Amino acid sequence: MNNYILSKKTVVNDFATFYSFLIGLFIAIFIGSVILLIQDQNPINIFSLMIKLSVGSINSLSSSLNKAIPLILAGLGISIMNSVKLWNIGAEGQIFLGAIAVNLIYINTEIYNSTLFIIVLLISGFIGGSICILLPAITKVFFGVNEIITTLLTNYIIIGLTVYLVNGPWKDPKSLNFPAAAYVGDEVYLPTINGKLSSGFLICILFTIGAYYLKEKSVFGYEMRIAGGSAMTALYAGINAKQKTFYAMLFGGGFAGLAGAIELLSQTHRVSIGISQGFGYTAIIVAAITGMRPLGIFLVGCLFGALTIGGTVIQTIGVSSYIADIIQATTLIGALVSQFFFTYQIKEVKNG
Amino acid sequence: MADIQLMGLLNATLQAATLLFIAALGELITEKSGILNLGVEGMISVGAVTGFMTAINTENLFLSILVGVLSASIFSSIHAFVTVILKQDQTVSGLILTILGLALSSLLGKKYVGKKLMIKIESIIDIAEPSNVFEVLLNQNFIFYLAILLMITTSFVLKKTMFGRRLEAVGEDSRASDSMGLKINKTQFIATCVGGAFAGLSGVYLTLSYVPYWTDNMTSGRGWICLALVIFGGWKPYRTAIGALLFGFLEALVPRLQTYGFELSPYLVKIAPYIITIIVLIILTVYKEGKTGAPGNIGRPFFRENR
Repeated sequence: MNNYILSKKTVVNDFATFYSFLIGLFIAIFIGSVILLIQDQNPINIFSLMIKLSVGSINSLSSSLNKAIPLILAGLGISIMNSVKLWNIGAEGQIFLGAIAVNLIYINTEIYNSTLFIIVLLISGFIGGSICILLPAITKVFFGVNEIITTLLTNYIIIGLTVYLVNGPWKDPKSLNFPAAAYVGDEVYLPTINGKLSSGFLICILFTIGAYYLKEKSVFGYEMRIAGGSAMTALYAGINAKQKTFYAMLFGGGFAGLAGAIELLSQTHRVSIGISQGFGYTAIIVAAITGMRPLGIFLVGCLFGALTIGGTVIQTIGVSSYIADIIQATTLIGALVSQFFFTYQIKEVKNG
Repeated sequence: MADIQLMGLLNATLQAATLLFIAALGELITEKSGILNLGVEGMISVGAVTGFMTAINTENLFLSILVGVLSASIFSSIHAFVTVILKQDQTVSGLILTILGLALSSLLGKKYVGKKLMIKIESIIDIAEPSNVFEVLLNQNFIFYLAILLMITTSFVLKKTMFGRRLEAVGEDSRASDSMGLKINKTQFIATCVGGAFAGLSGVYLTLSYVPYWTDNMTSGRGWICLALVIFGGWKPYRTAIGALLFGFLEALVPRLQTYGFELSPYLVKIAPYIITIIVLIILTVYKEGKTGAPGNIGRPFFRENR
């Protein structure tokens, strides 16, 4: 009798992740087309409209890249945390706390120099994100509490806090039906590059390079990988695994917090429940789909930003914007499926 | 008067708890086999919308429940396929299930927003203002009693039957179970789909009884509470039920706080369940030196290396 077993391939194609992503995207477009056909829509028309209105002009391209900023930054944070083999499901909450921290500093500080102040605000956003992951980090490092669950639960605590703030202490009487905090003054708006594209995108590029260097080239990145790989190896190498884990988590949270700060200072200009529309969760898809590679996160982040904008614009002609969500999710499913064939082989074993 | 208020609170608690408990119990079964499914929110949503659509179109209650349960179960088989057969990351796959489930159900339910149901799951005896515990119990519908039955059955199956023991063995140590000749893939696949079916039942309860209408994102984070509940309950059905009652109580309490004259902000009370869960999780981890009752193999894919 012949048995089939799975084993990991010893040599995996260098571009496996990239090919998997392309195959996944292809599958997703196919499934998206089927769904559109069922709804009596012409997929070619819809998709070309989506492309035209998301990257067809400088203006729309700028909106797409603006949407990419939180995805990329939060994705980078997730990828840094993954260096120590931990999952950050809490990027959504970290984005919110980043924005809350910015507003907290803003309403309690006198402004002397707005450029300097903007930098201070961005740093407070980063710190806000780090604070958001502080409890999961402490409980992980000292007690070994599962970080997937704690970061996830923190999301709901922070979003609850946001709802409380914008309905209570921070409620702007002028925002009638939509609970929100007061707008920040335009002296702290992030400057735009061409009147539309936020300079936050430049920060994004900077942080992508930074994250790449941190993960792949720096001693800290190397130590993180060892700390995440095996506790024993780390011990022999004299690496304080707990410390690396702790820092990796704070960095991860900080990146997402910065995303919240940029979102507040360049897009929404006020704290409300609309600071993040599930960016933290989409960022997980972005990070996972690229195999946690910073440069990949940057590119896929831009693509997904465009998809989100594309999804929003087709709403105006009566097509559900959820088609964009479905394409994003099925791309990852397709990528996971094809990743399987790149990393595993099915072996035939003769028994008896 | 006070009695009626108190009974109203109890009534709402039981309803909210039923919804949370069924899906949590399903997740418990899935996790016992060593598969973590973060897609509860998506599965509940799929069950909720398909059940609701069937109810509007056929006005057949039994069929609606069946469709809701089955479609959520089929939907969860995506997770089973990706994680059990293809051994891919469970965290990622589960999250996709949530995102995909919410998007799909919004897409499917678009035409059904605001439609009025002609049928709903009726209480055993409909009592507008129950005044004692007995009346509150009668005021529940059959899914409440089904949930109790499922709790007893699940606990019995897990502890006393071969299937349950095997399920636990697979989740605890799949390598050892494999050498004992247990079918790892089959067990995990079934457990994941059962979890999906339970979540579907929760979804049906949501749209056909708890809030009899359909709107986007109406699961509003309940799926995540279910995940928390499993941890809260230490992977034990009865303790999970106690957790569900506690969380249901808090959900029922929030809109009533002001009538009781509390100054506490309802928005802050809503956060309480999550804080309590984190505290319980920390206490469980510290107190039992890392043994929270979690299946040993949870989250880790199993495949036979070359033998």
